[in-house]
Amino acid sequence: MSRIELKDLRKEFGNTVAVNDLNLTIEDGEFIVLVGPSGCGKTTTLRMIAGFEDPTSGQIELDGKIVNDLEPRDRDLGMVFQSHALFPHKNVADNIVFGLRMQNVGKEEQLKKLHEVSELVRISHLLTKMPGQCSGGESQRIALARTLVTEPSNFLLDEPLSSLDAKLRRELRAECDRLHAELQKTFVYVTHDQEEAMTLADRIVVMDLGEIVQMGSPIDIYSDPVSYFVADFFGNPAMNLIEGEFFKEGDGIEFRSDSFNVSVPASYNNMTPGKGTFGIRPENVNVSSSKGDGSRKIGLVEPLGKDTLLYFETTATRPFVAIVDGTESYSAGEPVELTFPDENMFLFDSNGDRIRS
Amino acid sequence: MAMTLSQKRQTFSVFRYAILTVWLCIVAFPMFWMVGTSFKPDREWFSWPPVYITENATLRNYAIVWANINEYTKADGAHIDPKTGELSQYTQSLQRPWTALRNSTIIAGLATTLAVIFGSVLAYGVSRHQILSESRMFQLLMLRMVPPIVLIAPISLWYRQIGLLDTITGLVILYFLTSLPYAVWMSKSFIDEVPREMEQAAEILGASRWRTIWEVVLPLVRSGLVATFLFILILTWSEYLLALLLSKAEVLTLPVELSKYQGSTEGRVYGRQAALSVGITIPLVFVGLIIRKHLARGFSFGMVRR
Repeated sequence: MSRIELKDLRKEFGNTVAVNDLNLTIEDGEFIVLVGPSGCGKTTTLRMIAGFEDPTSGQIELDGKIVNDLEPRDRDLGMVFQSHALFPHKNVADNIVFGLRMQNVGKEEQLKKLHEVSELVRISHLLTKMPGQCSGGESQRIALARTLVTEPSNFLLDEPLSSLDAKLRRELRAECDRLHAELQKTFVYVTHDQEEAMTLADRIVVMDLGEIVQMGSPIDIYSDPVSYFVADFFGNPAMNLIEGEFFKEGDGIEFRSDSFNVSVPASYNNMTPGKGTFGIRPENVNVSSSKGDGSRKIGLVEPLGKDTLLYFETTATRPFVAIVDGTESYSAGEPVELTFPDENMFLFDSNGDRIRS
Repeated sequence: MAMTLSQKRQTFSVFRYAILTVWLCIVAFPMFWMVGTSFKPDREWFSWPPVYITENATLRNYAIVWANINEYTKADGAHIDPKTGELSQYTQSLQRPWTALRNSTIIAGLATTLAVIFGSVLAYGVSRHQILSESRMFQLLMLRMVPPIVLIAPISLWYRQIGLLDTITGLVILYFLTSLPYAVWMSKSFIDEVPREMEQAAEILGASRWRTIWEVVLPLVRSGLVATFLFILILTWSEYLLALLLSKAEVLTLPVELSKYQGSTEGRVYGRQAALSVGITIPLVFVGLIIRKHLARGFSFGMVRR
């Protein structure tokens, strides 16, 4: 049983506020992912939980006990670092049993656990090697094993996969998921990669500028972003976001911009007109062949196999993207008509806050 | 004729080795001359054309310098004193090379060990906890840029007051303090190389601060500390000015001893000096040999990945 509670947690570096009065409760066995762009305070938060940074104010509680003044080693935590931080002068086996040795576990017990854990993360064949001889993926597995073997109640993972290539990252991501399912321990995982967050998390905590912007299950975050920032951050390819202005048009509201004019659904009729952003996810854009009015030319066709991405030039820096089924054939320069289903539209005001219907 | 890439590489490599060989000869020549001279009889020290490798090799120089054997015949190539018409008899009885060797070993060894221990502890504090600001670190280095000659007058006066003049302790303290800046700067560069995350990983796995330093940091900086040790040892071992001026009669170190074979009334006795120099150099070479596997790694300042 282990529960991490952060209460008004704050960290300042000089004049910069890295973490701004954060409140967060992480339940036992939960896989929580702190995600956000670099400098959003996610790593600082994790390092405060670990005990490597002293909070400027606020409390960190583990199982209801305030641990602000406890040394990292007394907090019942395991941590996996971005750099793996294996000890280069010890072989893989010695790296893994390091934590057991520090806890004065007997030699036989050490060996038993060493073999159990290396089975678990599938590195039994590496035990006599030196870390320098192992690949990036192997190193990360070793780092995981070294943390797992001490059986902490909470695992802190600081961008553990960001130094790996895409294929390995996917593979180890699945591994993390499997380990979490097997161990039933609390995982706090920090990443700047929205895809990792989406695939791993029970609950995502989106952070920006030291504050929590939104919290929720991956699908909540994806389908119901509270702001421009969250909408922009999740999804690949990212949501199409078009700057423009909302005008009152008779009873209804119309959105106008250099590239698109869209009539906003009637449910938004009570909103205040003004500058804002219109958003639609690429997979929600309906593309139909057309030669009539309002048609636009496809700029670039990018077949990915199952799906095909269509790019359209706009006046903004980012092209407008639509995803169509891979079986449909389009070619660059072809005129098509784009329509947006009412229920998939996202509207944001000039502050970037979501406008609700 | 156009060369293929591999031919070009080969040519370049030959060229590189040629230059390195020439450089090696230039660097090694003084050492060769020192060793060579130490085995030459007196008349060959200055002979022209120079004798590169003597055919009359003798251990006389070593015997006189290190064993104080002072039997001397014309056959050994001794000079005839033009005034008295007698063979020159050098007053070796005044020289005490073994005492000097003992003093140097104690002074340089102790001062260097202290400097490396204190220096690396200080460097750890600077590297990890910023106990000295950057400007303080530079001030520390500036300390080392003060010419020693400036220090001599105040220090000898002061040392006389507190009874440290002409004592081993006096020189140890001074050498320790003057080499501390080097020790701090050099060992800091090695400690900086050890990622903090590595220490934090050890800590969160349950290691105490000291255990972390002992098991993680120290093994990783050992080569660097060994290199630092040798660097400072060479400096303190061959320090002359402070030793000359702060020791009067009792505490003689090897470089000072060496100077006594020069400019004395008998003229310059290069063969003896060379024999003494060889003796001075051997301990350093010996230390270097013992720790050689650390040196390549240490002196590359971490440029070679561990």
